[in-house]
Amino acid sequence: MNLVFYSGGNDQENHLLDKSFVEVLDKKNPVITFIPSSSYLSDQEFKSFVRHYSKFKISRFIHFPIDVPFDKILFQEVMRSDAIHMAGGNTFYFLHHLRKMKLLPQLRSFAQKGGVLTGLSAGAIMMTENIEMAAYPEFDRDENIVNIKNLTALNLVDFLFFPHFRNSPRYDAVFKSYTKKNSKMIYACPDGAGIVVRENELRFIGKCYAFSEGKKFTIN
Amino acid sequence: MNQIRKSPTDEVGKHSYINFAHLNGEHPFKDKVPGGRVEYKARYRRGGKVAYFNFELAKEMGLISKSHLSELNSDLEKEILETFSLTIINEYDLINKVKIPEEDILPNTYMATRYLQLQHPDKMGRTSGDGRTIWNGRVRSNGVTWDVSSCGTGGTKLSPACNINKKFYQTGDPSISYGCGLSEVAEGLETLFFSEVLGKNNFKTERLLAIIEYDKGIAINVRANPNLIRPSHFFGHLKQGNYQTLKQVADYYISRQIENKSWGQTSFKSDKEKYEYLALQTALSFAEMSAKFEDEYIFCWLDWDGDNILMDGGIIDYGSIRQFGLFHGEYRYDDVQRFSTTILEQKQKARYMVQCFSQIADFLTTGKKKSLSHFKNSSTMMMFDKHFIDCKNRNLLSRMGLKKNQIEHLLKNHISKVVKFRKVFSYFERAKSKRGIYRVPDGINRDAIFCMRDILRELPQIYLTRASQLNFFEFQEIIKSSYARKTDLKLTEIRKNQITKFQRFYHSILNSLEKDFNLNRSQLLLEITMRSSIINKYDRVTGDSITYIVQKVLKKRPKLSARELYELVEQFSNYQNLDPDKKTVSTKTPERHKNIMQNFYSIVRDCREGI
Repeated sequence: MNLVFYSGGNDQENHLLDKSFVEVLDKKNPVITFIPSSSYLSDQEFKSFVRHYSKFKISRFIHFPIDVPFDKILFQEVMRSDAIHMAGGNTFYFLHHLRKMKLLPQLRSFAQKGGVLTGLSAGAIMMTENIEMAAYPEFDRDENIVNIKNLTALNLVDFLFFPHFRNSPRYDAVFKSYTKKNSKMIYACPDGAGIVVRENELRFIGKCYAFSEGKKFTIN
Repeated sequence: MNQIRKSPTDEVGKHSYINFAHLNGEHPFKDKVPGGRVEYKARYRRGGKVAYFNFELAKEMGLISKSHLSELNSDLEKEILETFSLTIINEYDLINKVKIPEEDILPNTYMATRYLQLQHPDKMGRTSGDGRTIWNGRVRSNGVTWDVSSCGTGGTKLSPACNINKKFYQTGDPSISYGCGLSEVAEGLETLFFSEVLGKNNFKTERLLAIIEYDKGIAINVRANPNLIRPSHFFGHLKQGNYQTLKQVADYYISRQIENKSWGQTSFKSDKEKYEYLALQTALSFAEMSAKFEDEYIFCWLDWDGDNILMDGGIIDYGSIRQFGLFHGEYRYDDVQRFSTTILEQKQKARYMVQCFSQIADFLTTGKKKSLSHFKNSSTMMMFDKHFIDCKNRNLLSRMGLKKNQIEHLLKNHISKVVKFRKVFSYFERAKSKRGIYRVPDGINRDAIFCMRDILRELPQIYLTRASQLNFFEFQEIIKSSYARKTDLKLTEIRKNQITKFQRFYHSILNSLEKDFNLNRSQLLLEITMRSSIINKYDRVTGDSITYIVQKVLKKRPKLSARELYELVEQFSNYQNLDPDKKTVSTKTPERHKNIMQNFYSIVRDCREGI
């Protein structure tokens, strides 16, 4: 499986992650699908996304909002693309619509068949077992605006991912406490950092942190 | 309430609202066109509160400073109420000697203007005009003079009810609805949401400056525009053959256009040149307006009286305005005594009005009123027809997602390709359901079956990702709307042929751009994809969606402050701004509005293909 987890940040901060993404993609003239978390103002996000990846000589993109109905013709093209990027936003809203449109199994299958799946913030959390991390910590969480109860996501990796991490005692306390009660490892990445999963091998880009069994570890 | 309004001074740390003082009933139209208005004394109306104030517009008009917060402080609220919360003292009040406290009577008079209206028995414009509106005055800022009028300020003798029933009515008389002189918050909100969205999308339109709310949902809705003159302001005097007043209206209107630098030409060697220029400008504006209405599926009940439109083609009176999601070309509003025009008939009505302006120009130049048919093939009419087609071509290329310079290039150098594409585009856009005409809640309709916005949005993306054309089935799968039935989607030989042509002509346009601008296909398609995904966004407002949104807002109203309503309208109109060249990116929705905005989005989505 080929996955890229982006935490957030600007173009410059994500330069190394982008480079890794292009390496994983390893294709001339690839097609990338952009899935926004919400169609609200997604045209602007899509524009920025295209501008950003055009720098890597990528010129074929599909804009694919999933909280509005879509036809199967465009969807077929999405499933044929070389990479699918899931954008940031409200994780609960995003998951609710991915499930409503029955896209979770399709995206899982896309990744399992070798397509490159990438996600930023909410989109990255979506690739893990569930989106519990979006509700943590209490002082910096997404609001469950759609009141969903089933938080199961794509479950493509055996760790949890926390984006926009700030290296502070407040965050540490929350995640140490969480991992005391839960067996899953949390990888917490500040903006500009992230994880590349290539054929099940993990590579950390930038300074990342891991929380496990109530302890914190620094990576890189 | 003091008789003489104070003008707030520039005290240190205090805002100046001095320009509100210009909105005191005084207006140059009163003196320049004495036969074009009736005047009323007015009284301050108590019990009002400001439900909405358009801070952005007020800044543009110079009513508040650019640095003013989008917040209603007590001084500003007082100023708004003292300026706009008023009721005229009408004929009923005078005849019945209705007692009005002396201190409530305002010093100046306010005018209601005379214009032609179809629903008046007279049909000559002698009795019709502003039936429940008065003009507050005008303000000038940054080289633009703005007219301000208020709807719901009391029944005038120019209302249809007054003339049909031949009696004067007390303002608020419950025995009549339209004609009682009042307006409602719901009407104001509908105008507000619709006009702000259309304004952001480069439609010329009246805009709402404020809503003053009273008990039982009654309101005064304050509107503004750089020139509130309508064709009907001319037509009444034209019908009556009243040369003097017609000339006064024309001269007044022309002077405002020049004052506002709205026209390219500002000086004229002769009256002939001046009035012909007026007719020409009207032809160009109306051709542009009717083409845009057709292409953006705007239903505006245009008729020969010209009272639903401004002179520059701007929208006024949102009561009968709708935006359709598809080209529902046979929808007619049922107004009990008669059906409205359809979208396609709007052009003929616009053309007819232009013909009247040809007649006006000649009448004002020669002093003789010739028959209207005399101007059927005048040069102004030719200009209208030519400009209409130009605009249709331009609009289609713009909807495709092309840039301005590309559009101009194609129109200049490859017009035949554009025309061919427009023809095949229309075939699909105007395809109708086999279900035929049927009744809808407020009229009749025959469903359009294809959604052109969907194909224009998806086609460049699909071409970008694969080399092959869409097959017949794929094409129809993308373009079909929820109104299309199985029988509507039969792939006949004619339809297959049209699908092939559509893609061929689309490509031929791209080929020309690729070659002439030295672009590669991917680069071009990517640009088009990005622009087209904004222009042809999945969810675009329709008339129905605005109605439901207003119902939602009305339910929330008791808890919504003027500032919150302003923020909601801003958020909503930014979300519906489909201009790919817009400079600003809207800000994130404030937390407290998230739920209601989500509600708005789903309403727009659910109604996207309707009327």
